[in-house]
Amino acid sequence: MHLVELGEIPFDEKEILRYAMMPSTATAPEELPLGECLAAARSAVRCRAVWQRYPLGWHEKELDLGFAKTASQNLRKHLEGCTEILLFACTAGGEIDRRINREKVLSPVRGLLMSAIGSQQVEGACDRLCEELEKEHPDHVLISRYSPGYGDLPLELQRDIIRALDCGRTIGITLTDSLLMQPSKSVTAVIGMKERKTV
Amino acid sequence: MSLSELMKRGPLFLDGGMGSLLQAQGLMPGEAPETWNLTHPEKITAIHRAYYEAGSHLVMANTFGVHPMRYPIDECERMIRAAVNCVKAAREETEEKFIGLDVGPCGKLLKPLGTVDFEEAVGYYAQIVRMGVESGVDCIFIETMNDSQETRAALLAAKENCDLPVFVSNAYGADGKLMTGGTPESMAAMLEGLGADAIGVNCSLGPEALAPIVERYLAAASVPVLMKPNAGLPEVKDGKTVYSVMPDTFSEQIAALVPKGLRIMGGCCGTTPDYIRTLRQTVGSSVPPQIAPSAGTVIASRSRTVELGKDPVIIGERINPTGKKRLRQALQDGDMAYILNEAIVQEERGAEVLDVNVGTPGIDEAEMLCRAVEELQAITDLPLQLDTADPQAMERALRRYNGKAMINSVNGKQEVMDAVFPLVKKYGGALVALTLDEEGIPQTAEGRFAIAERILTEAEKYGIARKDILFDPLTMTVSADPSAARVTLDALRMIREKTGCGTVLGVSNVSFGLPAREVLGSIFLTMALHTGLSAAIMNPLSDAMTGAMISYRTLTERDANCGEYIRFADTLPAKTTAAAPAGTAKAAGAEGQPQGLRRAVVKGLCKEAGRLAREALEAGTGGLDLIQKEIIPALDEVGKGFEEKRIYLPQLMMSAEAAESAFKEVKARSIRTENQENRCRVVVATVKGDVHDIGKNIVKLLLENYGFEVTDLGKDVPPEEILAAVERLHAPVCGLSALMTTTVPAMAETVELIHEKAPWCRVMVGGAVLTEDFARELGADGYGKDAMASVRLAERFAEEGEEKP
Repeated sequence: MHLVELGEIPFDEKEILRYAMMPSTATAPEELPLGECLAAARSAVRCRAVWQRYPLGWHEKELDLGFAKTASQNLRKHLEGCTEILLFACTAGGEIDRRINREKVLSPVRGLLMSAIGSQQVEGACDRLCEELEKEHPDHVLISRYSPGYGDLPLELQRDIIRALDCGRTIGITLTDSLLMQPSKSVTAVIGMKERKTV
Repeated sequence: MSLSELMKRGPLFLDGGMGSLLQAQGLMPGEAPETWNLTHPEKITAIHRAYYEAGSHLVMANTFGVHPMRYPIDECERMIRAAVNCVKAAREETEEKFIGLDVGPCGKLLKPLGTVDFEEAVGYYAQIVRMGVESGVDCIFIETMNDSQETRAALLAAKENCDLPVFVSNAYGADGKLMTGGTPESMAAMLEGLGADAIGVNCSLGPEALAPIVERYLAAASVPVLMKPNAGLPEVKDGKTVYSVMPDTFSEQIAALVPKGLRIMGGCCGTTPDYIRTLRQTVGSSVPPQIAPSAGTVIASRSRTVELGKDPVIIGERINPTGKKRLRQALQDGDMAYILNEAIVQEERGAEVLDVNVGTPGIDEAEMLCRAVEELQAITDLPLQLDTADPQAMERALRRYNGKAMINSVNGKQEVMDAVFPLVKKYGGALVALTLDEEGIPQTAEGRFAIAERILTEAEKYGIARKDILFDPLTMTVSADPSAARVTLDALRMIREKTGCGTVLGVSNVSFGLPAREVLGSIFLTMALHTGLSAAIMNPLSDAMTGAMISYRTLTERDANCGEYIRFADTLPAKTTAAAPAGTAKAAGAEGQPQGLRRAVVKGLCKEAGRLAREALEAGTGGLDLIQKEIIPALDEVGKGFEEKRIYLPQLMMSAEAAESAFKEVKARSIRTENQENRCRVVVATVKGDVHDIGKNIVKLLLENYGFEVTDLGKDVPPEEILAAVERLHAPVCGLSALMTTTVPAMAETVELIHEKAPWCRVMVGGAVLTEDFARELGADGYGKDAMASVRLAERFAEEGEEKP
């Protein structure tokens, strides 16, 4: 099991506004309190991840992901040609959830923006983690991450992932009965690994 | 030596890791170690025996993973009994060999951020503790907890269900914080308050990285401190997890802390009997120095401590319905947003502690105080002062409060002391004691001091530390008695000097019945501070009061470079109010309509919308006119733009907020409008199991803009609770939100329940996973694909009344 502190993830305002349901082509309202929200978010975000490498078993009816089996056809297609996987969980931490709750009290638009900031931060953290994983596995091609809930990959797989990575202990992610991750700005995903053919 | 004696004297040696040793014996990754208590007891016993032989005084039964949220209750019982029997089998003699019940986290997060109810968690831990006690353990060892509230639940359950020593150990990150923000200081304050017998740290890090955290515990704690580090950080080598710190280094790093006061030590992940043997040899005969109890009066939230008695502290007084109509209404409506907003506003103006008083006719105070505590702690990390005269409400709030609270209040009446002191003893807290008794408030300083002494004597009987008592010598009204302020200040000085205890005053009362109250109040505050006041219960929104407090700090060498004073000065309103753009108000008066309001709402300019509305109203425009001719058309324009995808969500919301600030001006003039009468009631909620509420909040905001009277039940709301609100208000419309496929069944259940029991109510649903078809399948009366669509639906339902088409 590998623990990674992902450091400060730069704010990407365009991306944040996109998470706040505003396309990059639109002009932001002049009094949108984005600056204030960004300032408040900085100290509240702490991105951490945990990952583990697993062999990938191809069976007729299901995939053996090493920590669980799945019959998902979409994931099967996505992982075509892969021999192993990297499983990871990444979170922006619990403080940002508190901050979102707090901003919601002040105004709904601040709540929306703070939530969007949290989403951008955890996605940015995942991107950074994937870059690091690529560097750490030069002999493999890593294909794009795939999360429970995409396509026909069931959300129930979260239980296995959270258990396999001991997320409660390692980075503080827990699951509710309705399979919601706490803290809310958290991502789990599978990354397929293909062997790089050396010429 | 008994376990209690040994832990107080030190060093007490614990055991080391279990999981990695079991894996070496064939435990598969993902397989739960606790199941081996039943399937491979001999292997478990062998490990325990090796630890006793290595020199462990206290060996933990293999019960860390046993929890009723993971296993059926009878299985929990069998596993715990088997686990304790394994240790008993390994223990050849009982002299200084003890058995601990190992208690770990449940794996789910407690409310308010999670969904597990606090009392539910206490109930589960109570079961585990009782099972352990019946099996014959010598102590309860709560460990690897990374959430302070869950730690509290386990500790409270242990204290309520046994008389054995309870050890509490938390897992810290490298930043010196728990996952949910707790610090060594805040944890020490809350855990000692709840009666933990030893506190400290385990897991996550090696001994070197944990040492600074342990030293902070040693500085803050008045009970024995424990440490169980990992053997460094895990690394994967050749597919195997190995740890970087070897027994020698491990032991030296821990042993170095013994002269500083560390008394209880062992190992966590990656450690083996070898580590414990070496540790015991390295520590040798050295004995830690006696514990010097910490003397400061410390209160704490989940993540922050405030020390009273050093620098004077501002306690925000605004969450108290006495004389506040709007707050009383909010409490009666269960409108938490209003209370939460009061909290944040006070914090931003410099409050360091918040007083919370929710006593209002017609509500269940215990229930409301408990809920307010939980919700306030979700948005602020200021410590709270629980303010109620009802011991039942106080107890419920103290149970729930995540930290060490201020308790407001007790007084010299025997009956009150009999009710409140046991609560302070059980839950911890810093107590505010008023110097009055059965005879009333003494007229003299000597009389008030005498009551203070009596209160101290009585508290001592309960074992409540002197440092945890602060006195309030009572501010009386100077207009009723010219000597009132002098007597209060004399009593304050006497108490300070003769008892050494901290002091608190609610200062506002001094000016009651007089004009320009803040002038008098701020001078009285200054005098009280100069007399040694530790904390003032005051209104941080008053510039005069806060100015007096900050000035005092600046003048008494507590404000380096006058930084705090300058920051405060920056927040003061400019002397001359900013000149309104010339002609706006006049033009409004002449035309009967402000030119700019409609534009301000469309553009989402909050302050300008409020200002323009105010000016128009002052110039004589009717409130109803303003709403119908300016605000509503502006909202319609924006709403239409949103529907046509020319305007996006943040803009829509900004406009809604601007409209709201204009509405507020209309309301502030108590102008009854058609809009306010006969408004259609709508109940909104995010369904059970779901905690996404941003979408629901947007719908609420817009509905309110369009004149609906919205009752917001919040998130994760059970179907019965939603039905109860619909029935109570006879609401014709209910809006439900769910964002996850896993919570849609709860939505369906709610729709069905409302249709069955409240057939007059129409239910509209929304949320990311829903579609028009899906909503119909659920049986909903309508689907709101976004906030505007929900408004249109609600308008239609309201118009059609109870006649369903």
